[in-house]
Amino acid sequence: MEFNNCSPIYLQIIDSIKQDVVVGKLKTGQKMPSVRELAGKIKVNPNTIQRVYQELEREKITFTKRGMGTYLTDEEKIIKLLEEEISDKIIQEFINGMNKLGFSNDKIIGILQEYL
Amino acid sequence: MITLLKYEIYRRWKWLVIRYAALIILGLIFFNRASASPMQYNIIAESMGKFFLISIVVFAIIIIEGINMLKEDLFEQSGYLTFTIPRKGRTILFSKLTLLFLQLSIWTIISIGFGSMFFSKFPYQEISRITAQIDFSFYPTILFILTAFFNFVLMVHLSLTLTKTLLVNKKYSSLLSIGIFFLLAYLIENFYYGPFLNQIKYAYIEIGTSSASNIDLLSGGYTAVFLNIILTIIFFTATAYLLENKINI
Amino acid sequence: MEYILTTKQLSKYFYQKKALEKVDINIEKGKIYGILGPNGGGKSTLLKLAAGLLKPSGGEITIDNKNPGVYTKSIVSYLPETNYFYKWMRIKDALNFFNDLYIDFDMENAGKSIEFMKLEEKEKITNLSKGMLGRLKLALALSRNAKLYLLDEPLNGIDPVSREKIITSILDAFNKKSTIIICSHLIYYIEKLLDYIFFLSEGQIILEGETENLRNERRISIDKLYQEVFQ
Repeated sequence: MEFNNCSPIYLQIIDSIKQDVVVGKLKTGQKMPSVRELAGKIKVNPNTIQRVYQELEREKITFTKRGMGTYLTDEEKIIKLLEEEISDKIIQEFINGMNKLGFSNDKIIGILQEYL
Repeated sequence: MITLLKYEIYRRWKWLVIRYAALIILGLIFFNRASASPMQYNIIAESMGKFFLISIVVFAIIIIEGINMLKEDLFEQSGYLTFTIPRKGRTILFSKLTLLFLQLSIWTIISIGFGSMFFSKFPYQEISRITAQIDFSFYPTILFILTAFFNFVLMVHLSLTLTKTLLVNKKYSSLLSIGIFFLLAYLIENFYYGPFLNQIKYAYIEIGTSSASNIDLLSGGYTAVFLNIILTIIFFTATAYLLENKINI
Repeated sequence: MEYILTTKQLSKYFYQKKALEKVDINIEKGKIYGILGPNGGGKSTLLKLAAGLLKPSGGEITIDNKNPGVYTKSIVSYLPETNYFYKWMRIKDALNFFNDLYIDFDMENAGKSIEFMKLEEKEKITNLSKGMLGRLKLALALSRNAKLYLLDEPLNGIDPVSREKIITSILDAFNKKSTIIICSHLIYYIEKLLDYIFFLSEGQIILEGETENLRNERRISIDKLYQEVFQ
């Protein structure tokens, strides 16, 4: 994982984990590394990782089994939501980028059809 | 304190061994020379004189080392280590002074030991004649000299410590330390020993002894030693207080 | 809120120079703080006051609610910028010294750290390079189970490989019961470690805040922010 320091790191890490889930790099139901492990691996403050895990848990992407650690959800529903969330984000960024270049939304549809 | 003392000894143990071994070995060599020429008093005196010189050199080394023990920690970067360990200023100072005290004691024992050995080579009448002339009370004088030098080191320590509370950079610290030292010396001479010497003078005059004119601290006997010890306590307390509460490293 | 370190209107003057001017700081337990700023700004002075090497000219500083003294020295692990080892020591002597004088020193951990930092116990301190000294200082400082770690420019003069080791060591030593304060002007490498930062310049705090909030608000890295603030 590479992060820049220009925006909140915990958000970047959350996004990265979400992407890994959608892409399949992280298997559903998989055990997540401990706070210390992950912090040491990506050289980030453990408190930041703590915040990441709290947020993931809040969004029900992970859950904690008492005394055993944190696990990725295996609920299809949530994974589907994640897929949508991420693809929405990418599409939104694409549209914003194209709009900035001066392409109207109709033009974008046309270009896409040609391209694909 | 013992831990700190352990390190003070450990860091220079080789030098300590060399120092006293050399003193003893040279003492034996010179004494051997003296013994080998009985009744040749010029040779005996020469050997004794040479040993005396060597023991003075060792004494000077002990004193200078005693001063440097604190000076290093106050003015070198090692002070960052010494003054962040969880020990009180008085403990740090006491460990250094203990080593100084131990060394002075060992030195005294060796020097007096050899001194007596050399003196025993002279005829008894000669020795009695000399000591009678000098009006010399042995033990108080030795003790006085030792405590005086111990106080000398402590006074330097106090000067250095005072300097370190007033200045942080090294720039003018030597100058200031020397200045403070002489100021302390002046104060003690006039306000501490001064009155005491006057007391002795009056006592001698009252008794009617003719030697009232050349009274100095050495004729003070055990009282002078006692005064020195009081002074030691004063210096130690002041320095320890400053080390704990006032110095800026 | 339990603070491990507090300063109230803390000032330190050296002759004409105001090293610190009425500084108020509260340091919470279990976090990693960065005190950032240009040289001469007061960072080292602040750390030295906390370590008990300097005495305040005004105001107060307390560690675990106590004034600097023997107790605070026993719970504070201070890493100075200078080479503070006794010249006569070998690395082994330094380890023993720390072990003898600090109750919270973990000798086993220290031995492992020394290995990790590619140092040998029998080396003389006087033979160590600047980088090796930096690694040794850190290995010792972090082998204590202190409540407060004060690291003054831990990355100065350190090569990239050692730098990574040092960052790893800092992360390993961190736990919720302890607090770490890092002073550095090499912000790029450490900003990911910091929970909260202070910008200290000319003896005063000109900016402070939670690192992530600052990134969020200003949309730049702390490194860039530093450059902006200090031109």
